[in-house]
Amino acid sequence: MLGLIKKDFLMLKGNFKTWLILLFVYIVMAFQESMSLTFLLPFMCVVTMLSTFSYDSYNKWDAYVCSLPDGRKNSVRAKYIATLLLVFVTVLITTILTIIISYYRTNTVNLSSIGESIFGAIFATTLLQSIMYPAIYKYGVEKARITIFIVIFGTALVGGVLSKYIDFEFIIQRLVFLEKYIMIIIPVVIVVMVYISYRISEAIYKRKEY
Amino acid sequence: MENILEVKNLSKKYTEFELKNISFELPKGMIMGFIGENGAGKTTTIKSILNIIGNYKGEVKVFGLDNKNDEREIKEDIGVVLDDMFFPEILLPKDINTIMKDVYKKWDSDLYFKYLTDFNLPKDKQIKTYSKGMRKKLEIATALSHHPKLLILDEPTSGLDPIARNEVIDIFRDFIQNEECGVLLSSHITTDLEHIADYITFINNGEIILSKTKDELIEQYGIVKCTESEFKKIDNQDYIKYKKTKYECELLVENKNEFKKKYNVNTIDKISLEDLMVLMVKGEK
Repeated sequence: MLGLIKKDFLMLKGNFKTWLILLFVYIVMAFQESMSLTFLLPFMCVVTMLSTFSYDSYNKWDAYVCSLPDGRKNSVRAKYIATLLLVFVTVLITTILTIIISYYRTNTVNLSSIGESIFGAIFATTLLQSIMYPAIYKYGVEKARITIFIVIFGTALVGGVLSKYIDFEFIIQRLVFLEKYIMIIIPVVIVVMVYISYRISEAIYKRKEY
Repeated sequence: MENILEVKNLSKKYTEFELKNISFELPKGMIMGFIGENGAGKTTTIKSILNIIGNYKGEVKVFGLDNKNDEREIKEDIGVVLDDMFFPEILLPKDINTIMKDVYKKWDSDLYFKYLTDFNLPKDKQIKTYSKGMRKKLEIATALSHHPKLLILDEPTSGLDPIARNEVIDIFRDFIQNEECGVLLSSHITTDLEHIADYITFINNGEIILSKTKDELIEQYGIVKCTESEFKKIDNQDYIKYKKTKYECELLVENKNEFKKKYNVNTIDKISLEDLMVLMVKGEK
C-alpha cells in the first residue's frame, strides 16, 4: 500500500508552487487579520487530491492497479490515507503559523480559539472528502462533481423547507450544553464519518469492473 | 508438460456481449498468441484472468493456483501490459520505480533502469511527453522488472516501429528460455505472432474457435484457390470457410494432405495468421 500512497504524493509534486503561493497568501492574510483562512490549506488538500482522481481516470489507472498484487484491496485505502496525511501535515503547518503570527501580533496566544478554528477546518475538509470520494468511486469524477452540487443544494433546499415546520433555533438552544464537549465530539464525528465513507468507497470499488 | 496457465469454461455475460466457455492451456516455456478481431473478447478474457473484472463463471489457474483464492501470490509473479491502461501520465519513469519497489517484493530497480537505458527512455521526463511507442516500451519495462514468471500482454507491440517491435519480440523470446516462464500475448499484428508464438488461440464473438500449436496450424491448415465451378464440386464438409472474389474462390481447409488426395489438387497455399483470421471471421460456410 505504501507504493500507492507514494504514487498520489508523487502526482501532487507538480502543485508545489501553487502550495507555496497559497501559503504566502495565508501568511499575509493572517498578519492583516482580514479574515480567517485556517481552512484554506487543508481544504486545498482535498481539492488537489480530487485532481489525482481525474488523472487516474484519464489513464485508466484503476484497471491497471487491479492487476497489481493487492491493488484492488489497497487502492481506496491508499487514497484515503494519502488525503488524511496531507490534511494532517497542512493542519500542522497552519496551526504552527497561526500560533506564531498570533503571538507576534498580540503577544498572547488564544489556544482555545485557534483550536476551534482548526477543528472546524478539519471537519469541513473531511466532510468534503467523505461525501466526494464514494461519489467519485461510484460515478466517476465528472458526475461526482454534479452529485456534490445536488447534495449541497438538496440539503439547503430540504433545510429551507423543514425550517418552516421545525423550530431549529429551539433545537439549537437545547443542544447548547454540548458546546463544552465540542472538542471531543468533533474528532469522534470526523473519525466515524471518514470510516463510514471509506467503507462505502471500498465496497463500491470491490464490485466495480474497470 | 506442466501448464503455467489454465482457463476452463470461463463465461461472462454483458447485455450485448458474452464470453462463452473459454478454455485453453498454456504450457510452461511457451508463448501463446491470442488473436481475434476487435470486440471478440480478448481483453475481457485477460481482465478475467487478472480479476480486473469479476462475476464470471469458470476456473482460472495460474502456476497451478486458483486466481481468486491465491490472487496476491499469483500476481507477484505476473507481468502485465494492458491496452491503454497504465500509470497517470504526469508521473516520471523514475517515479514508477519509487512506487513499484513497494508494490512487488521482487522489484529490481537496476533491471528497470537497465531497460529504460536499453529502450532509450529518459527517466526524468513526464510520461505524457513520450510518444506512443515510448509509452509501450515503458509499460513493457515495468512489466518485466520484478522477474515475473508469466507475462500477460494485451497489444504490447501496437504503436512500435518495426525495429522496436523486433527488439521487444527478442526480449519475449529470451524471457521463455529458462522453460519455467510463459507468455500470453494478445495482438493484432499477426506477423509478430508468426515469429514468436508457439501456440495460437483464436477467439471470435466470445468463443474460442481454435487453439493449437503454430506448427500444427501451418502444417495442417491451408488455402485452396479454385474457380466457382470447381468449388461447386467440393463437399462442404471438406472446408471450414470459403470466400468468393470476382475471379476465384478461397477455401480454408483443415487438413491439407487429405484434401490434396481427395480432390487431386497439386498446390495448396500455406496459411498466414492474417488469412486465417479473415477467412474464419469473414468467410462463409
